[in-house]
Amino acid sequence: MAIEEDRAVKAAQDTVVRETDQGYRVLGSPEESVTHQHDTDRIPRKDITEEDIIDSADDPEAWLTYGGNYEQHRCTTADVITPENVGDLELEYELHVGAESSMEGTPLVVPGDPPVMYQSNGPNHVKAIDTRSGDVLWSYTYAVPSDVVLCCDDNNRGVAILDDKVFMTTLDSGVVALNRYTGEEEWYTGTADHESGYSATWAPVVYDGKVFTGSAGGEYGVRGFHVALDAETGDEVWRTMTSPDEEWVGDSIEQSCATNWMTATIDTENEKLYMPVGNPGPDFDGSVRPGPNRNSAGTLCLDMQTGEREWFHQESPHDVWDYDSAAPRLLIPDFEMEHRDFEGDAVVSFGKTAWGYTLDADTGELLNRSEPGVQQLNMFRMIPHIDEGRRMPFMPGAMGGNDWQPPAYNPELGLAYFKMNNSPQEAWWRFEEYEEGKKYWGGILEDEIDQPPEGYNDHISAVGAIDPETGQLVWRDWIDSDAYIWGGLLTTESGVVFGGTQNGDVIAWDGETGDRLWEYSTGETAISGSPMSWYDPETEKQYVAIQVGGSGWLRRGTAGRDDRLCVFSLEA
Amino acid sequence: MTDCDVDRAIMSHCYNNYYMVQSTTQYCGYMVSPHHDTTMTRPQITIDGRDELTDTLGISRSDVGERPTLSELRRTVETETDPEFASMGEAIRDDLSGELDAELLASELAAFEEQIARLPEIRDAGIPDGEKEPEALYREVIQPAWRLYDHLVETGFFESLEERLPRFTPDHIERTAHELVRLDALGDELGDLGFDERERTVLVMNVVNNNTRLARWVPTKEIPSDVEFDVEHVPPLHKRAMGGALLWINSMDVHLWQKEVLVTEEILDDGYWDVKAMLAGVDLIARAALDIAEGGAMSDSQLVAALTGGAAIAIVNQEEICKDVYWITEEMRAPSPAR
Repeated sequence: MAIEEDRAVKAAQDTVVRETDQGYRVLGSPEESVTHQHDTDRIPRKDITEEDIIDSADDPEAWLTYGGNYEQHRCTTADVITPENVGDLELEYELHVGAESSMEGTPLVVPGDPPVMYQSNGPNHVKAIDTRSGDVLWSYTYAVPSDVVLCCDDNNRGVAILDDKVFMTTLDSGVVALNRYTGEEEWYTGTADHESGYSATWAPVVYDGKVFTGSAGGEYGVRGFHVALDAETGDEVWRTMTSPDEEWVGDSIEQSCATNWMTATIDTENEKLYMPVGNPGPDFDGSVRPGPNRNSAGTLCLDMQTGEREWFHQESPHDVWDYDSAAPRLLIPDFEMEHRDFEGDAVVSFGKTAWGYTLDADTGELLNRSEPGVQQLNMFRMIPHIDEGRRMPFMPGAMGGNDWQPPAYNPELGLAYFKMNNSPQEAWWRFEEYEEGKKYWGGILEDEIDQPPEGYNDHISAVGAIDPETGQLVWRDWIDSDAYIWGGLLTTESGVVFGGTQNGDVIAWDGETGDRLWEYSTGETAISGSPMSWYDPETEKQYVAIQVGGSGWLRRGTAGRDDRLCVFSLEA
Repeated sequence: MTDCDVDRAIMSHCYNNYYMVQSTTQYCGYMVSPHHDTTMTRPQITIDGRDELTDTLGISRSDVGERPTLSELRRTVETETDPEFASMGEAIRDDLSGELDAELLASELAAFEEQIARLPEIRDAGIPDGEKEPEALYREVIQPAWRLYDHLVETGFFESLEERLPRFTPDHIERTAHELVRLDALGDELGDLGFDERERTVLVMNVVNNNTRLARWVPTKEIPSDVEFDVEHVPPLHKRAMGGALLWINSMDVHLWQKEVLVTEEILDDGYWDVKAMLAGVDLIARAALDIAEGGAMSDSQLVAALTGGAAIAIVNQEEICKDVYWITEEMRAPSPAR
């Protein structure tokens, strides 16, 4: 059956995303969620176990969790593609997924005959795809309530799988579990009231029978949390508020935000979660939330079984620049740092501050802070009050540095790769009343500024590599454009780094030197997705897949909408 | 960043050429002290800061020296009591006198002031020890202050102040200064806690010379005068002042311990003063609360000055500790041995 006749695709196409004063609204969504089955028999009936997911770190045929492994390295062991031959990489096929909406996701691939891809995009649309033919096997569109408010588009960054289920967060702050073989709904759990400003856009992660999912709404004065759900039933197992009451003054805790709006990293050995945490609320008015607002803009470590807080490392204390630290954490087991006489597990974080932080995974102690990945001008200077009539462009701007763009890590080279913006913005703070479900910024953010700070190099973004041991910036490739850079990175263990750009290019870099080895233009629309890779023993090819299309928050013109999934291949 | 911020940055971080010089005017009263054996940044009284202070207090610059002491200011400032302040103070006393536990306040204030006297040893300790987590250094100092704070929260103290005291307008802050200068709690009593003359003058300057900055901690001129904000979700101003100061100090242990690789002696020195100044603000508020509970010796107008001045000092130095200790830029950090 053609995709044009797919009812779930049609439902996604009929859904309209509108930018309003209060953010993005999703209109015209179906009244009930829609599953459309095509050829579901083609999906091999083999449940995916947690062992499979753990083993997938070394399995070139699999990409079973958002970050490529529980440590979120986004590193494939498939070794067909190397720096020497990546120039021969070719487009295998382009699939139009049918819904021209936000395309920020990372697909998963379950090995088998055929390998099956689970690919999602806005607005809460997910498909099972035969990776060999590109045929859609089933598709599903969630019925998003029309009163959902979203800061930054109808994003969905991916799904999780376990056993016979696919798990997807929903824009109304929920998680839906689908039957992986049929696309039919198994259960749905709402984790918070979307009418208060909560939403959910990230890929959840599953381990130990639990679905781990966070919270979004940091521009709406919500209170951030992380929650574990029973993967079989959707029942809540535990819930931890990211900020404890005692670290905020009085009722300011209720609008403290500090949401956990990207995927947690799983430490299976020590049963811990390392999660990124965003800005405090309101974004720009620090006077109503005095103190460092600990547990915002940094890394939170929780006990996986109980949700008990282990430690928090803050990157932007008492933040007033919207310096979320949103990107997924890289967990590096058995890390050695000679100059600190350190041996142990390390967590690496890239945040909007543009530094890479290497932390002791056991204690949260900072082992090393890297050189900045991009320019820091007027950084950590207090923004003006609106009455001052003063301007102070600052860099990184509120887009970072490294916003949510997932970094990658190559254990063979010992290098961590980042995508960062390098653009000034201006902000002013002012008192604003809090109203439930409405924007609560406590100020104004200006994206287009008259005069950049002195010393600005006019490069809007960069891809680069940092050595987490020394903190040295090993290489950096400036990416020029009118739009911001978005989407994450992929590395191969053989030493190639892949990423898409806001200019519509897919680029392969030499992981060691940063030299561009291969480029492919998909057109003019931006690429907001994060690439992933797998090897198919039947075709004897290694594939690289990336979603093409813009995202609302990219602004600056050239982002645009698209609905393509591009799959590249190289034969062994 | 206010001009004041720039000046502070210029004075205390000029060696690193980081901040862009936008103004050479000095308001805050800070500079690098040459009389310390490190490059410690200590509170100082600058000429421009002095001028603004004397202008606000309505006294002649010739009546005081280049670096006026609090004693000098007290001798020269007019002694007339502000009747509005007296009336506000009386209303606060009426509101709270039966609510506060004098015994608890007295004992915890005494314990708190003992802890303030320990600050130099906390500074000498530098970065807290600890394998898995930091030992409690700064947190120990403020244990009694938390108990004071909790009692004030429980008794509705901060809500009463919010209701009885005007917003932090520049005018209110300036009038506070006149009373503050004459306040024993700021003078001799802080002196007994280890604040020298210069430091006490700088605390007054914190209040006087930041009146506009302080006024922004509440709704401002954008709103027509007849419009009332819904501030249901915002903690009372004095609660934010005292609670915020305690939160900053509370997190010093973990901040310094986690960020040891970035922390320099300058950062520790700057933090020492910022903490000390915030503790002075907290102490003033607590002393005022005790005075209400005991029916003590402060005049009603002085009571208002202690509450407003204490909150102002706590707020101004919260803003300072961000820049001095928490927002560690590339230029401020300790060099990395690996690069």
